[in-house]
Amino acid sequence: MASDIEPAEKDMATAPEEAPAPQAPAHTTSARDAWYPAGKRDLFILRELVTKDFKLKYRRSVLGVIWSVLNPLLMMIVMSFVFSFFLRYADIQHYPLYLIVANITWQVFSDSTNAGMMSIIEAAPLLKKVRVKKSVFPIEKVLFSLVNFLFSLIAVFIVMLWEGVAPTPMMLLAPICIVLLMAFCVGLSLLLSALAVFFRDLVHLWSVLLMAWMYATPLFWPVSMIEQVPYHAVRILMYANPMYNYVTFMRDTVIYATMPSVEVIVSCVVWALISLALGYAVFRSHERRFILFI
Amino acid sequence: MQDTLNLDNGGSVFLGLSSTSLRVGDKLQVTPHFRGVEKEDYLCNYVWNLNGSWEKGDFDSTIEHVGHNIAKYSWEFVPDRPGRYRIAVDIEDSQGRFKGNVERWIIVAGQNGFLRPPVPPADAPTAVLADDVSMIFNIASEQFNSLKEYFIAAAKHELTFKEFRALDHISFEVKRGEAFGLVGTNGSGKSTMLKIIAGVLEPSTGEVRVEGTIAPLIELGAGFDMELTAKENIYLNGALLGYRKDFIDEHFQDIVDFAELDGFMDMPLKNYSSGMVARIAFAIATVTEPDILIVDETLSVGDFLFQQKCERRIKELVESDNVTVLLVSHDISLVERICDRVCWIEKGHMRMIGETDEVCEAYRSLQR
Repeated sequence: MASDIEPAEKDMATAPEEAPAPQAPAHTTSARDAWYPAGKRDLFILRELVTKDFKLKYRRSVLGVIWSVLNPLLMMIVMSFVFSFFLRYADIQHYPLYLIVANITWQVFSDSTNAGMMSIIEAAPLLKKVRVKKSVFPIEKVLFSLVNFLFSLIAVFIVMLWEGVAPTPMMLLAPICIVLLMAFCVGLSLLLSALAVFFRDLVHLWSVLLMAWMYATPLFWPVSMIEQVPYHAVRILMYANPMYNYVTFMRDTVIYATMPSVEVIVSCVVWALISLALGYAVFRSHERRFILFI
Repeated sequence: MQDTLNLDNGGSVFLGLSSTSLRVGDKLQVTPHFRGVEKEDYLCNYVWNLNGSWEKGDFDSTIEHVGHNIAKYSWEFVPDRPGRYRIAVDIEDSQGRFKGNVERWIIVAGQNGFLRPPVPPADAPTAVLADDVSMIFNIASEQFNSLKEYFIAAAKHELTFKEFRALDHISFEVKRGEAFGLVGTNGSGKSTMLKIIAGVLEPSTGEVRVEGTIAPLIELGAGFDMELTAKENIYLNGALLGYRKDFIDEHFQDIVDFAELDGFMDMPLKNYSSGMVARIAFAIATVTEPDILIVDETLSVGDFLFQQKCERRIKELVESDNVTVLLVSHDISLVERICDRVCWIEKGHMRMIGETDEVCEAYRSLQR
């Protein structure tokens, strides 16, 4: 049946007592031992795909994986130079740390949605041949950006040492934010990847949207500037901005060692849930038609 | 392709073969018979070539000159491997001017004597059941490349579609352990059918039931990443086929050995030839016994030695009675060697289904 039942699992369930082939050639194994049941199979695929992306990213670069640490560090140095000298944001406490925490958080978001959006289109040759769970591809891109994020945390620790900010127990709350952010990115990647299959325009549009979104989020400018926005509606929008909330959550726990406000925590949770629900619904209802468009 | 050549002085030459179907090790007598002329006035060159194909009509890839014997008019030929051979004799006159050639095909079966695997019993369980499958594609009469165009058309109710029936009421049943072939010309719907069986495409109407695991041969460009090394690709591809990691660990060397690519494992795949990639793909897909093995045109990439190895492996799998092989090809000779039943699809319609010889004969008569 060409619907949702995974063949491997179904087979394991219906024919467990079946003996292996009696005269199988020496180098073959009974089919039953070779395959994963459906769920585990997807996990192995995810792992292999993340490994692949990771290897490809740093293959043939001399410093290799060190770039994952070096890149955010250098970006931070450039940005802190630019913004503290030209825009005089230097009065923000621990400005380099303020920058790098927000930047790596934003990087996860922009990397995973950008790559996630293209993931189904890029997996087209494969999807035309093999029956694989399609949601594996956008989710993999989010996981891959998480791996990069984890490496860039080393850069954050270096900056913390430089700035003399001591780690506090409050930092233990940061992983909660990361999990919520992951959920938000997974949902959005599912949504974007499904839409991009039908409308390739989205690919071009999204980069513009991301840029606008980046400037609307207090990544390098002080959070207090939101208050100076003259229109009430715009202010509400800026506070509701999911990325504002995730970035604030990270900064509060990592830099300021304070508990994020209830509004921020609730927003982070709600945005993650909305994104997941919407992304999942759209992806599931359209994934069967992908093959006709890729 | 002709077995008789009319010479310009009224005589003719006919290529005589002692048999057109034999086994490895059997002796074939090749004798050109001259009629109406003295054979001593002519010279003959005898050439055979393995696995030439009807479609391609080329035989430059594996030409082997066995003998250039002046004033000899009969040869013995003992094939050392199974396959389809082209036997040809070039005729020259006494001045060495080429007059033409005569040629015929022979089929050579493997040592075990079975040209094709045995047909499974009638009560064998069903592996693939296609029940009245139709596939209709809606081809947009206009191409929408942007949201704007789409919304404008949608608002004006101008979204019209042209129906294209890629498959029209196809039904067949494949038993477990059977080797089933799908033939048809380009664009006939073979691949669409295969996609439906593989579960990547859903039929518009009808149903396909598949029992068991499917291992498609993932071809060049799909599932392989050219930047990764062969070893990394084996793991990636294995994962996509659903293999367990410990299983791949255990059988890694088997895959390498079968592909005959020991020592190339840490080389990026982009440095491989397409034939080498096909070897790896085949080795991965057949390292274990899938319930259903789907063989697309992939095999045609490898060299003839590897093609024969693949054929042997496919036959091994079929003979184990557990594996169902679905072979899709327009290379009729491959289908003839491997399959025991064939379905011929033409322009989405099922033209014929039945024993290989019958269907292939009919299919071939279309080509001429």
